[in-house]
Amino acid sequence: MSEYKLLAPLTARRRGRRGVSPALRGERSVVRGIGVGLLWLVVAISIAALVWMVAQAFRDTRAILDDPWGVPASLDFGNFVRAWTVGDFAVATWNSLLTTVLSSVLTVAIAAPCAYYLSRVDNRLTRGLSLYFILGLGIPAQVILIPLFVMLNKVYLTDSIIGLNLVYIGVSMPFTVFLLTAFFRSLPLEMEEAAALDGTTAFGTFWRITLPLAKGGILTAFILQVISHWNETLLALTLLQSTEKYTLPVALISFVQQQTYSGADWGGLFAGLVMVVLPMLVIYVWLGRRLTEGLTLGMGK
Amino acid sequence: MSVGLKEPRAGKAALHNPDSRKPVTRKASAQGRQPGSSIDVQRKKLLVPFVGPAFVLYTVLFIVPALGAVWISLHKWAGSGPMKFVGLDNYGRIFRDPLFLSSFGNTLLLLFVVGAAIFILAFAMTLVLRDMAGKKVVRNVIFFPHLINALVFGVLAGFIFNPGGMVNSLLAPLGVTDPPKWLAQDNIFPLIMVTLVCTTTGYFTTILMAGVDRIPPYYYEDCALAGASAFQRLRYVILPLTWDVFGTCAVLWTISSVKIFEIVWVFGGSSGAGVPPTQSWTAAVYTYVNAFSGQSTPAYGAATASAVLSLALISVLVVLLRRAMRRDAVEF
Repeated sequence: MSEYKLLAPLTARRRGRRGVSPALRGERSVVRGIGVGLLWLVVAISIAALVWMVAQAFRDTRAILDDPWGVPASLDFGNFVRAWTVGDFAVATWNSLLTTVLSSVLTVAIAAPCAYYLSRVDNRLTRGLSLYFILGLGIPAQVILIPLFVMLNKVYLTDSIIGLNLVYIGVSMPFTVFLLTAFFRSLPLEMEEAAALDGTTAFGTFWRITLPLAKGGILTAFILQVISHWNETLLALTLLQSTEKYTLPVALISFVQQQTYSGADWGGLFAGLVMVVLPMLVIYVWLGRRLTEGLTLGMGK
Repeated sequence: MSVGLKEPRAGKAALHNPDSRKPVTRKASAQGRQPGSSIDVQRKKLLVPFVGPAFVLYTVLFIVPALGAVWISLHKWAGSGPMKFVGLDNYGRIFRDPLFLSSFGNTLLLLFVVGAAIFILAFAMTLVLRDMAGKKVVRNVIFFPHLINALVFGVLAGFIFNPGGMVNSLLAPLGVTDPPKWLAQDNIFPLIMVTLVCTTTGYFTTILMAGVDRIPPYYYEDCALAGASAFQRLRYVILPLTWDVFGTCAVLWTISSVKIFEIVWVFGGSSGAGVPPTQSWTAAVYTYVNAFSGQSTPAYGAATASAVLSLALISVLVVLLRRAMRRDAVEF
């Protein structure tokens, strides 16, 4: 026994981060047991809720209301077809997709060079600029809502997908610049220096050395923008007025509000919810680890 | 307790650095280089093409509107027609408006009550998760709600809590024959608060876990050798070493809670003429309704005044939080 105790720290080191080190393994209290049980319960309920929501989207409203716990009898896409045609979700999905991809690509394309400059040149100006960009992180959307509406209205960019894209790009600058600055700082300088010694211009170093190295961070920044632009609601609700310009969240709100008059169409509504949630699930399953790292470490300090 | 926490406290420089430790040394080496090195000179010329577009877009679409908001809040204006300068009258007016006071009160409830609940739960979950089997699975699942539009939760809550809905059908076998009217106007806001706690805790748990995972395992081993109890370990190791992450989380929640809008807007599903019951308004909803609902003359002045006050609330709290959290950060 005593021998085991002496070796305990050693074995713990050897096991590295995997598993639990023996020094910590001793405590198995009741409270902990309950905590672990509760956590697994939360996990089970979360997954069940997601599966349940998708399942309801394939049942018609009457069946859903009669027995909300039921499972679909057959794979019936009727709800989706109705939401797609009656609820204007088709054009809204297209608008959302276009806006999300376009504004996210442009956001990253514009923020990356800026972040690169701020991370590589260190003087009073860049420190001031970094602070200036960080300021925007604390300004909630409702502050700029009304002035933005007035400004865009003057140049005929309200109720316009172009206007919305511009707004999304501007509003995303602080976070993206902040995240990418931190990311570029973490890249090794040696390769850039080597390239510079070989006579590459400063722009060439950025384009041919740093950008390829930074692929991971740039992809993370891009995906984070995709998520936030796909889900953005308040600005879209304010700036878009005609149905054929609506993005998915706005279409969903208007669908909910129509039901006050036309009776609840829960089948169609669930189909709409699935359309909002599913793309996020796909991205999460595909790139999940990158996202959690980007969100937790990027916002880490 | 012989836990090795004698490291020097982090200086200001380390705290202000957005990235953890590595860049400090790198920056030092960058400064140590000859100032006239040709790549540096070349790089400096890239200021306008590289920073320019981001700077212009951000300034025009974010900073100018934010300043514009302050300007508009000093005027009486219905969106079109002349602006009348009224000084701080709008602020005085909204403070006499019971609707604004209750909306702002709701925002404060979200900020402090929901915030406290989220933090206690997230921290408890972090402690349990720290060394449990399958922690990655759990973490991945509880993080996902953060990626879902809050609208979805609002709509689903309307379905789950409606009179013939799932909650009541669950309660019926338990002998609750007369369940509360969940979606009555007075009950909606507490329900929103509960929903927010359920859907946001996972995100903050993930962030706290990133902080707790950073603690090197030998501190725990030292604890075990010194015979520290679980509480002592929490008090003297985990809390001091994750204090800065707590600070970050508090700042994040302050900023995001003041923005809460979507979930209030649709909570309970089709609740009426498009505007949620006044009892559940937040400051963000107050701003939107006063400017864009189309139900009365738009009062841009009062609406922006409310938004500017939200911004002031955030600024004050963030400054206070940074002050409060600064002292206790421990470098390890």
